[in-house]
Amino acid sequence: MIDLPEVLADVRRGLVPARIYNDAEIFALERDRLFPSAWMFLAHESEIPAPGDYVVRRVLADSFIVVRDETGTVRVLFNMCLHKGMQVCRAEMGNASHFRCPYHAWTYRNDGRLAGLPFHAEAYGGEDGFAREGQSLLPAPALDTYNGLIFVSLSPDAPALREWLGDFGYYLDFYTRQSPAGVEFRGPQRWRIKANWKIGAENFAGDSYHTPHTHASVVDIGLFREPRASKRKEGALYVAGPGSGTTYKLPPDGSFLEHLRYVGYPDEMIVTMAATYSKEQAELITESGFMVSAATLFPNLSFVHNWPVIDEAGTVAPFISVRQWQPVSECETEVLSWFAVDASASESFKRQSYRAYLMCFGSSGMFEQDDVENWVSITEMAAGTMARRLLLNSRMGLTSEDKPIKSPIAGFSGPGVAYQGFGEFNQRHWLSQWSDHLSDRQGAPVEATSL
Amino acid sequence: MLDAADYIGWLELLCEDIKYVMPVRVTTARGAGFDSLPDMGHFDEDLYSLRKRVQRLYTEHAWAEDPPSRTRHFVSNVRTFAFSDTELYVESALLLFRSRGDTREGDLISAGRTDLLRLTEGGMRLARRQIKVDESVLRTQNLAVFL
Repeated sequence: MIDLPEVLADVRRGLVPARIYNDAEIFALERDRLFPSAWMFLAHESEIPAPGDYVVRRVLADSFIVVRDETGTVRVLFNMCLHKGMQVCRAEMGNASHFRCPYHAWTYRNDGRLAGLPFHAEAYGGEDGFAREGQSLLPAPALDTYNGLIFVSLSPDAPALREWLGDFGYYLDFYTRQSPAGVEFRGPQRWRIKANWKIGAENFAGDSYHTPHTHASVVDIGLFREPRASKRKEGALYVAGPGSGTTYKLPPDGSFLEHLRYVGYPDEMIVTMAATYSKEQAELITESGFMVSAATLFPNLSFVHNWPVIDEAGTVAPFISVRQWQPVSECETEVLSWFAVDASASESFKRQSYRAYLMCFGSSGMFEQDDVENWVSITEMAAGTMARRLLLNSRMGLTSEDKPIKSPIAGFSGPGVAYQGFGEFNQRHWLSQWSDHLSDRQGAPVEATSL
Repeated sequence: MLDAADYIGWLELLCEDIKYVMPVRVTTARGAGFDSLPDMGHFDEDLYSLRKRVQRLYTEHAWAEDPPSRTRHFVSNVRTFAFSDTELYVESALLLFRSRGDTREGDLISAGRTDLLRLTEGGMRLARRQIKVDESVLRTQNLAVFL
């Protein structure tokens, strides 16, 4: 048995019991206390552009159909037949006006409503025996969208999505709104790694410290010039609402146009970005001189924006990836990795950006390959008896008296708190939210639905 | 050659205009008319990006393959078709076994390959490789290997 209060107290002081990265009891608590009460990302609206388009996505073991119904409304339906519990839709994507259960042929419209069941009169005695009217596949208890990102919560009492996103919305806009057209998602690539889901989430939340060493090879081969320690330690780390992230310091004294050219955006996109970004967003680039890189929105949705060299001619092309660390067990995670690009960008830019993405991130990405090797190894090490004796030091940036070793950046253009250089402020922020969820003994009350 | 980690030798067998692609496979209903994503792959490479991948493996910092995996590419069901006087179209089935370290179970990647081989002055060279992987969710931690 774990001593949960002790584990959480250690985590809160930045000394993380190694076992939390591979422990069945911890995972059961995450499953029962954290994921049912968090806003969980499922899909982007651009993945289901037309009526009837659907994708099937999970929140841990729960399968949901994310579908655009005939009126254009996005629905998220629990993928379990009301009758015997069969998975109604077993494809992962497609277009359908109706979903028919393979078991007894109960059939649902793509807005979830039960359209028909065989032998209603003979088997049930019609409406008197089973009231068909008003029955629907269970909708996700809460559903909301932001910039086309579709989130659900398994708790009907979840706070409004925008309220919950709070200050992180400002940073989320950099990844999902470069023009009024928004972004389009492609993918996802999906693969399973024998790693605990928290490690990737924490890494993207703020681990600028790993970049110079873990990703030394991409600098060696001239693919991406920024990860060198000298560059990385000038970047800002920020914590804002339920999210946090890393940035790169831009060259000094550039205009908005020059800075965005430096990271590879074509002029026509820069003009659109200038018109789309808020004054405060533009100032992060021009006044503070930072460009967003990796970020994590609690609990398990991460973002990355990098700008590698994509051809022999030295062309620099930026890309955005959105990824989810979908827990399978305490020692296995399914990674879903999307490529995201401004929907109004030219086809040639989309092509270049896609190539940049594939070289760096995703199942074959040259950054991601080395990350996953680390995370699998941590997970393996965390399973043993000795790991129970070890508290991992996640106190970077704090003195022994819990004071930050440096002051926050004064006049930082973005919301939240930002520090320049290395530190584990962000990971501690993520772990503190994790601790809050795990210490909630009540969990979300569950009301059963009966037909 | 790949199993012997002779990646530089392997690169020399590629045409300048090589296209090396591996679409993402998806689970769709029978009759949906597609079972892979049209605009997303695990690989979509040209000679530049393949060279970078190989260069990386020869650096001292490619942790994903250091220590290296032990791999075995099993190639079977080979069918060849003359495409033109100088080009040969080759279909094959590939089973890649990948073993890392001493505690993990080995990974398997099963795929069909469609290759276009071209006769050049230096001999037969690979001009196109399309890899049709049989899993929608890969069960290997990364594609730091070639198929």
